Amino acid sequence: MKVGIVGTGFMGVTHAAGWSQTPAHISGFCAETTAEAAQLAKKYHSKIYTSVEEMLPEVDVIDLCTPTFLHASQVRKAAEAGKDIICEKPLALDVESATEMVQVCRQTGVRLFVAHVVRFFPEYAKAKKIVESGQIGRPGTIHLRRCNYRPKKPVGNWFLDEQKSGGLLLDLSVHDFDYARWIAGDVKTVFSKKVSSMDQEAPIDYALIILTHENGTLTHITGGWAYPPPNFQTGFDINCDRGNIHWDSAETDPVHVLIRTDQDSPDVGLVGSHLLESPYTTEIKEFYDAIQNHKESRVTSVDGLKAVQIAAAARKSAENGEPVMIHPMEGGIA
Amino acid sequence: MKIGIMSFAHLHAEAYVQNIKAIPDAEMIGFVDPDESRVEKFGRQFQIAATTDFEKFFAEKPDGVVICSENNAHLPMVEMAIDAGIRNICCEKPLATTLKDARSITTLAAESHVNLMTAFPVRFSAPVMEVKRQLQLGNYGKIYCFQSSNEGRMPAMYRKWFVDKELAGGGSLQDHLVHLTDLFRWITRSEVESVFAQSNQVFHHGEVDVETGGMAMLKFRNGVFASIDCSWSRPDYYPIWGGLSFEVITDRGAIQVDAFKQNLSLYRHDLKGLSLVDWSSDSNQGMINEFADSIREKRQASISGEDGLRAVEVIQAAYESASNGKVVYL
Repeated sequence: MKVGIVGTGFMGVTHAAGWSQTPAHISGFCAETTAEAAQLAKKYHSKIYTSVEEMLPEVDVIDLCTPTFLHASQVRKAAEAGKDIICEKPLALDVESATEMVQVCRQTGVRLFVAHVVRFFPEYAKAKKIVESGQIGRPGTIHLRRCNYRPKKPVGNWFLDEQKSGGLLLDLSVHDFDYARWIAGDVKTVFSKKVSSMDQEAPIDYALIILTHENGTLTHITGGWAYPPPNFQTGFDINCDRGNIHWDSAETDPVHVLIRTDQDSPDVGLVGSHLLESPYTTEIKEFYDAIQNHKESRVTSVDGLKAVQIAAAARKSAENGEPVMIHPMEGGIA
Repeated sequence: MKIGIMSFAHLHAEAYVQNIKAIPDAEMIGFVDPDESRVEKFGRQFQIAATTDFEKFFAEKPDGVVICSENNAHLPMVEMAIDAGIRNICCEKPLATTLKDARSITTLAAESHVNLMTAFPVRFSAPVMEVKRQLQLGNYGKIYCFQSSNEGRMPAMYRKWFVDKELAGGGSLQDHLVHLTDLFRWITRSEVESVFAQSNQVFHHGEVDVETGGMAMLKFRNGVFASIDCSWSRPDYYPIWGGLSFEVITDRGAIQVDAFKQNLSLYRHDLKGLSLVDWSSDSNQGMINEFADSIREKRQASISGEDGLRAVEVIQAAYESASNGKVVYL
């Protein structure tokens, strides 16, 4: 299997490390400038491509680690070229593009995997297994928390451009929208408030979302780019009628480093996981296996689409102050 | 100064007995309760005077009373106390189960010039007081919003009436929405403008006919918003009764507060497990001290009946929103 990686930012670097742990061959990298791709190309003894078009004929699988606003056009190109696709989360900026992407992949018969990596973090995967086993009953209330600081890329900070990233709700909270669905099923209504709706000049981003699932479960989601760097806290509570699961990153961090440093925090906050295998590698290995052996992955393209749908509803609710209903997908998609 | 308790229905009465006794110039005159079994049981347990005869109780001429009845009995209790000439009343939360009753209580207190206090002990939690002080000094920046939880065990394990729609006025929304609502009003000095709420009955499904899970989002007139989880989501064997925690988001970051985190972890061979031993300052004592101070100083207590009424308005709006799925404006 020959893989081409598009985008060489943090995600490109991380996915490349994942692919290197599989039998797949990394054919090469494509970035905005050849200089950016050069470093990774050298590390993995692979090529530098100057465009997606140039890369496509030479690979079996394309891995899109690009900013969100580029996903729709790149997925279309890859699908039309008949290549299987890994696409970073969120799948797309809006529901229309995401739906088209899923449809074009179906029509062309290529596989589309959305990199909702949270499903591969062992704490999240274990909690899912416990709920799924039925040993603690049915979820009544769920809390999902994820807060760090505003991404601070010195140049080209597309994360903070709502037109390019969809902002906090689509870029960060989408992880938890997807996880909430994984645990408690499809969502019926979304109610959300965010700081930027009350103060456009706010130096932080923060949002609170209440999801009402079809089965009656209530999920509360906290999303923030609000803490001073390098703080990053995640956590969840899954409260069921026959038991509860609680997890908090700050409480369970096995290593606390209290060393003086002059080093600045990284541009994009990440959770330290202290694992033998990075969850990103676990994810890439599963996608490799799914493609190679024609298996299902734990996250489907429709999951990616539905997470975008919830994020879009949350953005709308935060803007107009009203609860937003989630309507079933049209066109026979799930 | 003589202080008595009217009804031992609410489990907080057990704490207030000790709190009143701890005040040097206060005399705990006992309690009155129409329920004979409670008079019997708690009179003996706490070694205090107890009677079902209200006239006998009022003949003691209490300077103040603390009302710990079932929620829907607060109004008749207040009426009886005022009729008997009591000038200082501290009433358990929620002030009433309906807006009409809550308004009757505050109107009656105002017309009779009675010092009416609503029992919101969280205002006397030491960590909460300190955070409120710093926020109001501006030391933590400008407040944008609160994310909060007041989750607990289903209180039927302490008192059955807590899950009775009639006596309690509802389930977990009625029980657990008030504290944080009051707290955020107190901190922001702003009133609630709108409420969105959802509820369900997953926990203890089939055991009770009230909601056991709920979440609400409040928006204040000054723009600040707050989410509150008010569910009975903690199992009966949870190491403490539940908890109250919140995160304040400001333009400078966040403050995370857990009002019930000051515990020792205790492992006992005989229990074969972990138990938590609370070493925090007693917020109930702080609240009863304030009630006694207001009696002594002949002034309105720092929490009023109006504060209780405002919280009732929010609860009623939350029930309306949970039933019709819409945002309810106050």
